Amino acid sequence: MKRRDFLKNLSLSAATLAVIPTMSFAADEKPKGSNALAYKDALAAITGGKTPEPSEKVSLKVPEIAENGAVVPVTVEIDYPMTDSDYVKAIHIFAAKNGNSRCIDAHLSPANGKAMLSTRVKLGETQEVIALAELSNGNFLIASQSVKVTIGGCG
Amino acid sequence: MEVSRRDFMHICAIFGIGMATISSAAPGGAAQISLKDIFSFKDTGNFTLLHMCDLHAHLKPLFWREPSTLISAPNLVGTPGFLCGDAFAKHYGLEPSSLDAYFDTHIDFEALAKKFGKMGGVAHIKTVLDHVRKTRGADNVLFLDSGDTWQGTGVALKSNGEAIVKAQNYLGVDVMVGHWEFTYGKKRVKELIGMLDAKFISQNIIGDDSFADDFEELIFEPYTIEERGGAKIGIIGQSFPFTSTANPKEFTQGWSFGLRLESLQEYVNELKDEHKVDCVVLLSHDGFSVDQEVARKVQGIDFILSGHTHDPSPMPIVIDGTVIVIAGSHGKYIGRLDIDAKDGKVNNYEYKLIPIASNIIPADPAGVKLVDELYAPYAAEMNEVLGKTKNILYKRDTFFSTFDQLINDAILDEMKCDISFTPGYRWGTTVLAGENILMDNVYEMCGITYPNVYTFELEGDKIAKLLEDIADNVFNENPLYQQGGDMSRLGGATYDITVGNPNGKRITNLKIGGKNIDLKKIYIVSSWGGNLQNAGSNLQKAKTRAVYDVVRDYIKRKKVVDVSNKGNVKLVDFDCGCPRKGSKSC
Repeated sequence: MKRRDFLKNLSLSAATLAVIPTMSFAADEKPKGSNALAYKDALAAITGGKTPEPSEKVSLKVPEIAENGAVVPVTVEIDYPMTDSDYVKAIHIFAAKNGNSRCIDAHLSPANGKAMLSTRVKLGETQEVIALAELSNGNFLIASQSVKVTIGGCG
Repeated sequence: MEVSRRDFMHICAIFGIGMATISSAAPGGAAQISLKDIFSFKDTGNFTLLHMCDLHAHLKPLFWREPSTLISAPNLVGTPGFLCGDAFAKHYGLEPSSLDAYFDTHIDFEALAKKFGKMGGVAHIKTVLDHVRKTRGADNVLFLDSGDTWQGTGVALKSNGEAIVKAQNYLGVDVMVGHWEFTYGKKRVKELIGMLDAKFISQNIIGDDSFADDFEELIFEPYTIEERGGAKIGIIGQSFPFTSTANPKEFTQGWSFGLRLESLQEYVNELKDEHKVDCVVLLSHDGFSVDQEVARKVQGIDFILSGHTHDPSPMPIVIDGTVIVIAGSHGKYIGRLDIDAKDGKVNNYEYKLIPIASNIIPADPAGVKLVDELYAPYAAEMNEVLGKTKNILYKRDTFFSTFDQLINDAILDEMKCDISFTPGYRWGTTVLAGENILMDNVYEMCGITYPNVYTFELEGDKIAKLLEDIADNVFNENPLYQQGGDMSRLGGATYDITVGNPNGKRITNLKIGGKNIDLKKIYIVSSWGGNLQNAGSNLQKAKTRAVYDVVRDYIKRKKVVDVSNKGNVKLVDFDCGCPRKGSKSC
């Protein structure tokens, strides 16, 4: 029970992007105009075209099956030093198939002590959730996991 | 530890065929198999774990036919958890027409049912438990329950679970986890736990209401440490990870479920490193195939006592040093696991899946009395004869079973809908051909706390998408993305399915009322046991009625029901219902 407390203390932000759809049929609706941003473009806008390195240092915790697609808990923790000369500059989270796939950008400094972010994202349908760590040396680390958004199941 | 475990596999191989050998030598039947054969066991080690899963509130013995179709993704077909019929019998070396074959497969079920009789019943289970407690010493025995215990019969529903808790206390359950338990709602769950002598544990249920005191806190104790036979046994609880998607969310609002393998690993480490236990047990309702993945991903669990998917597994399976067992469903079996563990190490074990053959194992008189008392307030309703069935009525199978079809027939008849959806649960009952159908049987098939049949409108396009979504929950190649049930059963519709196709492309030739589905058309849909009505519109509120009442009235009108086992689904990429591993045929 104690172990839960550290999550609360350390979480940098908790953004809730919630308009609760009753069903994942919400995904049927077309992305709305200028807000649309495909994953590839969103990624390139941050990396400037540089290829991120898939890394086990990026721990991405998401449920295998979302309990509610409107509020899917995501926790990202980067196993990386946070010194003045070498640190995680930002954590970005993407939802590959959302109309606007760029969910959150969290900017960090060595004063954060630890590169960790806990938040909620809205997922319109089953898709990959991606965590990108932007390092002070200009490199990028990346990890992803599929999250299933289902209408309902069987008992 | 791994090396020694592998050595013990030969020990496990002995029992599975032991029973079969006896019965093949004596084909005369029940009379030739004695209580001694059922009890026979090579006592091993310093303590015994007795295991029950998915009783589904069956206090009395019942008939229960195992599936004749059990299809999964092609990579899983024919592996433990996805074995049935001949493939099952061959995998475990069962003799045809033996007691084991009768308990574990659908083959010759009706003939063998007459020979061997009903299965399970708490009074018969108690006799087995008492025997083990007496021979091993009660202080050396733990009785663990993997959940789905409080729900599944009329007596459970009518007493809001209390009758079953009383039966668990009578049996002497020590520790349990849950799934359908939660469909009584949070408040009632806590009340029932208050009446329960056993500990209710779960490491994977966390508060997620940010205004509640228990936000991000555990709702139940994550584990318990029990001492038996001089050993410290650490037992971690894992309730059904997908309760909030498989069952209505309102029952568990504010509680978040999930596999939570990271915290599971932390608790395993804590038990070993801080508490110096001799043996780590995961008491689980994940399902047999999911638990095989858990064993691959979490290090250091010695035994997983699994549940949820209702598999009888005569032999344990060993994955990366973790031994996994599962004990069927409906009180048909008790798993007995003798363990030799000391000095923080498991040295040896022996396992047997004990069939609760009610004609061979005598009933404990106190149990018979208790069950009568628990049924007494409801006996008049439960014992009402509604009609007769011409053919066997059973539940299970991946796409279609006769009792489900009867329920769909009843819904189509009363609701005048185009298509009906009935859930792919794996609990229910079996009524033999020519037998009376009692109201008790109807509750055994659909006794749930959210029984309403809803009738509403839904576009063809959404019906097609919904079926694909359900198919992906059942046939996903990764067990972690499955939910451990079968396909929803459809009334008024037929389709072809290619199980091995990717998500969204499995179902073809979908017909409603004999005509190809029109994706633009609005259909009248009836469903119960799910949340489909939320996706539809123009709910016909005046028609809404409990499914067990709809089914009761239909059977009474018909007097004799005649449901064929022909089915309404064509399987494209398999030739039969029980394929062998790596094969498309049987």
